[in-house]
Amino acid sequence: MATTLDAINRFSVDKFTQKSRGRSRPQDSVSRVFGKNDFSYLALKPDHDNRPLWINPVKGRIYLESFSPLWAHAQDFLTTIAEPQSRPSFLHEYSLTTHSLYAAVSVGLDPNDIITVLDRLSKSPIPEEIRNFIQECTHSYGKVKLVLKHNRYFVESSDPGMLQRLLRDEIVGPLRIEGSEEITKERAPKMGGLVIPGTKNAAGVKQQPGQTPDQRPTRDEDGAAKEDDIFVTLREEDDDDDDADQVHSFEVPTSGVEAVQKRCLDLGFPVLEEYDFRNDEVNANLDIDLKPSAQIRSYQEKSLSKMFGNGRAKSGIIVLPCGAGKTLVGITAACTIKKGVVILCTSSMSVVQWRQQFLQWSNINPNDIAIFTSDHKEKFSRNTGIIVSTYSMVTQTRARSYDAQKMMDFLTSREWGLMILDEVHVVPASIFRKVTHSIATHSKLGLTATLLREDDKITDLNFLIGPKLYEANWMELAEQGHIAKVQCAEVWCPMTSEFYQEYLNETSRKRALLYIMNPRKFQACQYLINFHEKRGDKIIVFSDNVYALERYALKLGKAYIYGGTPQAERMRILENFQHNEQVNTVFLSKIGDTSLDLPEATCLIQISSHYGSRRQEAQRLGRILRAKRRNDEGFNAFFYSLVSKDTNEMYYSSRRQAFLVDQGYAFKVITHLAGIEQQPGLAYDTPAERRELLQEVMLQNETSAEIERIDGDLFGERTGGGGRGVGQKRGVKRTAGMLKDISGGQDMAYIEYNKSKNKELKGKGSQRNPFFKQLDRENEKRRKQALAMLKD
Amino acid sequence: MSASSLRSFEYLESLPGRDFKRLYQRPSTALAIFRRMLPHLAKTFVMAMLYITDPLTLSELELWVRPDSKRHVLHVIMPAKEYALSLLSRLHILNTSSVPGQGQVLSLTNDFATSLRLSLTGGGHHQSFGVPCDTPDRHKASLESLDAFARSQWEGILHYMVDTAGVGMQDGGEGPSHGVKKLLELGGLVQMKGSYATITQAGFSFLLQEVNAQVWTLLLFYLDSAEALNMDKVDVLHFLFMLGSLELGQDYSLATLTATQIQMLEDLRDFGIVYQRKPSSKRFYPTRLATTLTSDAGALRSVNAGFDNALRSGDGKGFIVIETNYRIYAYTSSPLQIAVLNLFAKLETRFPNMVSGRISRKSIRVAIHMGITSDQIISYLTTHAHPQMRKNVPILPPTVVDQIRLWQIEGERMKPTVGYLFKDFASGQEYEGICKYAEEVGVLVWKNDAKRMFFVTRVEQVKKFLENKAKSAAAGANGG
Repeated sequence: MATTLDAINRFSVDKFTQKSRGRSRPQDSVSRVFGKNDFSYLALKPDHDNRPLWINPVKGRIYLESFSPLWAHAQDFLTTIAEPQSRPSFLHEYSLTTHSLYAAVSVGLDPNDIITVLDRLSKSPIPEEIRNFIQECTHSYGKVKLVLKHNRYFVESSDPGMLQRLLRDEIVGPLRIEGSEEITKERAPKMGGLVIPGTKNAAGVKQQPGQTPDQRPTRDEDGAAKEDDIFVTLREEDDDDDDADQVHSFEVPTSGVEAVQKRCLDLGFPVLEEYDFRNDEVNANLDIDLKPSAQIRSYQEKSLSKMFGNGRAKSGIIVLPCGAGKTLVGITAACTIKKGVVILCTSSMSVVQWRQQFLQWSNINPNDIAIFTSDHKEKFSRNTGIIVSTYSMVTQTRARSYDAQKMMDFLTSREWGLMILDEVHVVPASIFRKVTHSIATHSKLGLTATLLREDDKITDLNFLIGPKLYEANWMELAEQGHIAKVQCAEVWCPMTSEFYQEYLNETSRKRALLYIMNPRKFQACQYLINFHEKRGDKIIVFSDNVYALERYALKLGKAYIYGGTPQAERMRILENFQHNEQVNTVFLSKIGDTSLDLPEATCLIQISSHYGSRRQEAQRLGRILRAKRRNDEGFNAFFYSLVSKDTNEMYYSSRRQAFLVDQGYAFKVITHLAGIEQQPGLAYDTPAERRELLQEVMLQNETSAEIERIDGDLFGERTGGGGRGVGQKRGVKRTAGMLKDISGGQDMAYIEYNKSKNKELKGKGSQRNPFFKQLDRENEKRRKQALAMLKD
Repeated sequence: MSASSLRSFEYLESLPGRDFKRLYQRPSTALAIFRRMLPHLAKTFVMAMLYITDPLTLSELELWVRPDSKRHVLHVIMPAKEYALSLLSRLHILNTSSVPGQGQVLSLTNDFATSLRLSLTGGGHHQSFGVPCDTPDRHKASLESLDAFARSQWEGILHYMVDTAGVGMQDGGEGPSHGVKKLLELGGLVQMKGSYATITQAGFSFLLQEVNAQVWTLLLFYLDSAEALNMDKVDVLHFLFMLGSLELGQDYSLATLTATQIQMLEDLRDFGIVYQRKPSSKRFYPTRLATTLTSDAGALRSVNAGFDNALRSGDGKGFIVIETNYRIYAYTSSPLQIAVLNLFAKLETRFPNMVSGRISRKSIRVAIHMGITSDQIISYLTTHAHPQMRKNVPILPPTVVDQIRLWQIEGERMKPTVGYLFKDFASGQEYEGICKYAEEVGVLVWKNDAKRMFFVTRVEQVKKFLENKAKSAAAGANGG
């Protein structure tokens, strides 16, 4: 890996700007403000008004005018070649990076085309630095492809010189399979007859009489077979025109694949993997297609067309906002490849959801789709199928149960057509490395909403899975009604003086507990819940801190779920939340951040969060983006973030919002909730109550202030023996006091005022033990007899 | 009506009656005041009465006005007629007298009416509209060179002010003349701190104004200081109003100017209002800054746009885009505009026709620290908003506006209390005693037992208490 990154670091835009420094440039009075970033020397084209973008020659940052007539065209192009940085209403920013160019090349863009189109869109001629940067990057990227067809591996390139160079290499050269003496040449692959199901194109094909989808692959195979016959030996005097449409390849043995990959990487030519699934005759075809009712949306189609651009499957990552139908993209990809599929998700909850979605959208036989979790270990009945599992099940290293081991052997012993990796951003790179090594797949598709990591490990994904193929524009999707429009607000809650006093005195992590438990924040939360329940909203309240979660939920009489809630109880609460009109609010800890599908929710309140995590903020927002009512006239979902004023929380809050703000979301600051004073029954309204709360908070030890640790939830459910249990420390509470205090010796009695709503929900429809039932019946009988006797 | 003309009103209204009499003797002044200073209704009144020989009764005049028509003057709503009449009489244009049997009658003052009639019909030998030179200039100044001159002079002044904000930019030129610097200081736009000038809050409002308003503001300061220099202010006013009626690109002779006015030329040259090839030249050219001085509000807008065009390379419309993510993009290449933006935004990248940056808590706090208010920033952003932004209602993203205000409020939570700090007590006992006393008499504001410090609003009683204590201690010591 290190070598890869070295290879990447060699190519940064900065390197290409070295030469240009020292050139004398006109200076004026404000030049000093900009320092190196003064590009006023760039010449403008005469018709620059009609062109929508500027390019920063040093950083490779691109500024795009969204009000230009060329905007739509430019946006499509830029999302392919550059990394979107911010996309609010008027000017969008993108950056050209090595990774983004790598991705552009991998979806089949030619470096010269990139430069030509950029030049056409740019207000000033493309700076030399950028031109060099693009050429240098693309020169090394995507030149060499590793293609698996007819179950033989071919090293393929459109540049014969490159292959000659590889053949002369002391490691790659000998690996060439003897017998395929020469480099072979064939027509470059085309999208050809490949139709992604669910698209309009597909609908058209289906309508043609006598052409069932089943016939299509065979037709394609015939066509491809013919092309195979026209293998021509490579001649040195091939002219360039020919080259454009032709690719050259030589074969390597399966055993040599890794060595070739590694060597190419060292040489600075990362190998692109492609899977020619239509010509894969060894792996059995899976009988799967999208249901006719399933229509995929334009942006889903666009993302998939990047993946299947030349009729082969490329590996990569597709970034869509939560609620924009990532699952359907995955299902459609599976329906296009029609081979065995492995799906990995983060929790067993989403495993179930994935299976349901597959059954809902495709015509797959329920026996062909199996679940592999700690509770279920199934196999499909026929020769190929789909397996849904979690990352932790596949990667755990400790001893497995017999069943699990057998399942794993089954997984590793086969070749799979496609691996879908859900929520790729949450999983550490080491897990991916394990996964990709242990399971043999021809293509990998990563799905995520937020390709963000606070630790910047995200670049690793580029090599472990593949480049980012597509990233959607949130605001555009919201405009088109695919995801809900959201009103975001940050509510500033002043600290009460008692709490702030303690806050200033505390130096430890307990500060966090103080600002989370700020009574004013509690009141704001209560007010917002009341307000939105009256409007008929379904509300989710998020708190990372479990102590606060419990306190809030108990005090307000609402149901809550955290890592410690048993699976059955979770399900019951969520079902009630979705269907019971009496249950309109649910408190969730961190476990609700991802993959929880609650289309009923329309309002979200956040009372505590994971420091400055931009990803968490985006993920949480995602919980309300799929609101069922999003297409109602004038519908808005609401996202509130409650922040205690003058505390660290303010700082974290602004950091957290950075990603969403760059997507074009605007956070309104609310300093005062109108009418909160008139609200009857507000908690902690008297100083006495507040002092009591403060005392209680002060008695908590530091572990209460910590954020819930639920690594178990990511890499294995509580029931499964997953990654959990690395000696998790339970906090011990120490308080000074007399024994008689506890035993009730001081006229104290224990009465539970804060009854858990969870228990209430449980009570409904619960069954009494048959023994007591019988007892009841007998008592009743006896009473009746007694009454009868009295009457007599 | 812009703020500047309102301010020039105030100035004119403060003049004594005999100054008005002298002012109105020159047709150019009468015309300029008529064009620039009067609201539409007042103009209508004047025009209606200009050629009437007999006085007009108030009841007749009332028939011309709709009784419900109102006028906003600085957020105060006044009936339009009353406002117009009171203004006219304050400017000594209208005489009111009561005639038995007719009630109140109105007539124009003689001087004003005569001069205005002269200016409209021409004739007379007043030469108040300037005398063009009768010999051709061998070094005739072109319109472009005049604009360039005006621009460099005026921007030089503004640059000087921006620079004093401590932005630390080095101007290529030597900056404005000593007289201009002095004037800025007298006007309270900059403050001298030692040998360095620093910009004041008034200076920032000045910077964020339109060019025409800026010119008037500076000229009014000039008028104020003219008196101190024993210049005849009526002469000065005459000259300014005359300049407003001159033609751009025409050279005028110095022959008809008074000594005061010739003395003024030098200063006006520093402002960029007039151009002379060399100080000894016998002719001068008014620049666009001069010829737009007394245009009325409507004409001003288009002229102003034209001027902005000449003065700046922008298209005269708005040029600033501010996004909900606090990024700011300004379509400009003018160093001055960039320098002004740099006062409250963190600028990052500069392209030939665009600069990009962002506003942040820090950048706004720095601006506020310099004395700029959040409202000034918001109004600057609004008036210069890019046409694309103007499609939105409201023009600026409300979240950004709120946030800028909040950043200001954030710093205003401190409440200063004047008082005295007691510290360094010899013993805890001593500290406690005095502290307790201070609390009893109700002057204690803050105390810290651990550091043995406390803060009181008034010191007299505590001082007396301390003295008494010292005395009794001394007495005790003596007794013992």
